[in-house]
Amino acid sequence: MLKGKGVSRGIGFGNIIVLKTEERNIEKKIMPAEKMEEELKKFNDALKSAIDETETQLQNISGKEAEIMEAYLMIMKDPSLVVETENAIKNLNYNAEYAVEVGFNSVIQVFENMDDEYMASRARDILDIKNKILGKLLNEETANISNLEPNTIIVTKELTTSETAKLNFKNVSGIITEIGGTNSHTSIMARTHSIPAITRVENATKIFRNGDSVAIDGMLGEIYLNPTEEEKQKLLVLKEQIQKETNELEQYRNMESKTKDGFKVELVANIGVPADVELALKNTAEGIGLLRSEFLYMDSETMPTEESQFDAYKKVAESLNGKNVIIRTLDIGGDKELKYLKLEKEANPFLGYRAIRLCLDNLKIFKTQLRAILRASNFGKLSIMFPMISSIEELRDAKNILEECKRELESENIPYDKNIKVGIMIEIPSAALISYKLAKECDFFSIGTNDLIQYTVAVERGNEKISKLYSKFHPAVIKLIKEAIDGAHSQNKFCGMCGEAAGDELYIPLLIGLGLDEFSMNSNNILKARKVVNNLCKKDCEQLSERILDMASAEEVENELKKFVNN
Amino acid sequence: MKTEIIKLQNETGLHARPASKLAKLAATFKSNVKLNVNGKSVDAKSILAIMSAGIKTNTQIEIQCDGEDEEEALKEIVKAFNDNFDE
Repeated sequence: MLKGKGVSRGIGFGNIIVLKTEERNIEKKIMPAEKMEEELKKFNDALKSAIDETETQLQNISGKEAEIMEAYLMIMKDPSLVVETENAIKNLNYNAEYAVEVGFNSVIQVFENMDDEYMASRARDILDIKNKILGKLLNEETANISNLEPNTIIVTKELTTSETAKLNFKNVSGIITEIGGTNSHTSIMARTHSIPAITRVENATKIFRNGDSVAIDGMLGEIYLNPTEEEKQKLLVLKEQIQKETNELEQYRNMESKTKDGFKVELVANIGVPADVELALKNTAEGIGLLRSEFLYMDSETMPTEESQFDAYKKVAESLNGKNVIIRTLDIGGDKELKYLKLEKEANPFLGYRAIRLCLDNLKIFKTQLRAILRASNFGKLSIMFPMISSIEELRDAKNILEECKRELESENIPYDKNIKVGIMIEIPSAALISYKLAKECDFFSIGTNDLIQYTVAVERGNEKISKLYSKFHPAVIKLIKEAIDGAHSQNKFCGMCGEAAGDELYIPLLIGLGLDEFSMNSNNILKARKVVNNLCKKDCEQLSERILDMASAEEVENELKKFVNN
Repeated sequence: MKTEIIKLQNETGLHARPASKLAKLAATFKSNVKLNVNGKSVDAKSILAIMSAGIKTNTQIEIQCDGEDEEEALKEIVKAFNDNFDE
């Protein structure tokens, strides 16, 4: 069995098709002079067919993506791109393939040697064009992915945007890639289309061969090459179980999220990139409880401009069609780095210079984002949420900057939603303990359990050695959650939760008992959570939470919750 | 021949998107259009030439138009720079 990172849930059986990215071996030949015209024609035909292909692809996309593709196309059409290649054919009598190799490499080198990181990375675009042309010259068969056999499992280094656009999803029963994380293009697309997918399988394109029979588990990230009858049977049972669960949850699609005794809550989605909106809506999310804005910064070679952020937020606001979208301002620093923002290494990154602390110290970055969110708020219902608030001063400072941005927009006559709500993450114990005061000066809370647990029990999330101590069932964590909810309610403000605990069926009854108003989770958990909520009684949950608040250990709490759920 | 000196405002320099817009615009004129920058002269009708000049924000650029529609060409191109290529 091989293991990778499971990024899209589900079981897939099928036969492999490997999308090639093999290294080519370009032979250098000196052609007789009379062949020169022929080689020149070969090259120009290959170039033209690459250009035609790109033009066709361009018709299927729009917006910024199309503008980038258009720039790419212009590079392909630029006469200076091919000067060196044509010279190599005409003057050195090279064969077309080798002329492309040397001609394009000289252009690539110009870009690679630039001291500007963005420009240097444009070398990749030229390399891409070179590979396209060589593919044409060498008559390489590119797998026809628009016409796949049923039950195909795709293996590739990484799916590109243009490949995805051509893909016929009906016949794809799984995707395996060598690189990419949870938020890579492939992963998002796979989740949206409910195709099991596994990333980070080293050397996948070398290990697998076309036609190999495999079975994959997209949740655990497990791949069985030539599965035994026993393995097949095991996965088949799992597949049926998942299918049965999915069918059963269908009935909750158009239901309200409320308990049997009428307590209504909101079930909303956490998303990492705008493309995940589709999945959230498909799973009937009642809004977006957490839009992590980091994608704009991580995917970019430079600090994202106000315009590019505005475009992204506006798109999300519009596609939610009036439902609330909570945008968390930049939560970066410490463990999450940006190439273009040089930060000092810290001994304790989780206790260091990050999130709101970094933003309040880099007003240009902060204001650019706030202005973009404010401008986009004119196109839907957006809320702003500040991460890592530990004191009232930080909230006040952040709000002052926001007011400054509002005044600027007013003087520039740019419209924004004047009633835009401002909230904070409760993820540091100090914030939970002064929640009554914080609630007076903001509109809502969202409890980030992942960090709240880490800061409460002093256990770093990623440290395996002490992972046993990291528990959402720790009575102290539950007390802090209660403080946050009670603090918000004392000022008639709403309190949500966007940590993993909010989507945990075991934990939901406790949260209902404590009075949580909004549950923000991965889109795939929403229907299941609605089922849980709709089968609960608020009264029972309140009694449960009272019993739990009196407990001393995480183990007791967990057992009590299990007992409650199994009854 | 007409020239005018401007300063590049685009925060991220003259990268692919603005460069493509500039090259496209320059190509609509009959005049030769050159950017004189950092001691080099760059053909503004070639996206590759513009990009490989690696022009960063706040750089001074002399725009030079030479030909029958040089006046209009200069006016339009200066305007595009001042509008930051709608970035």
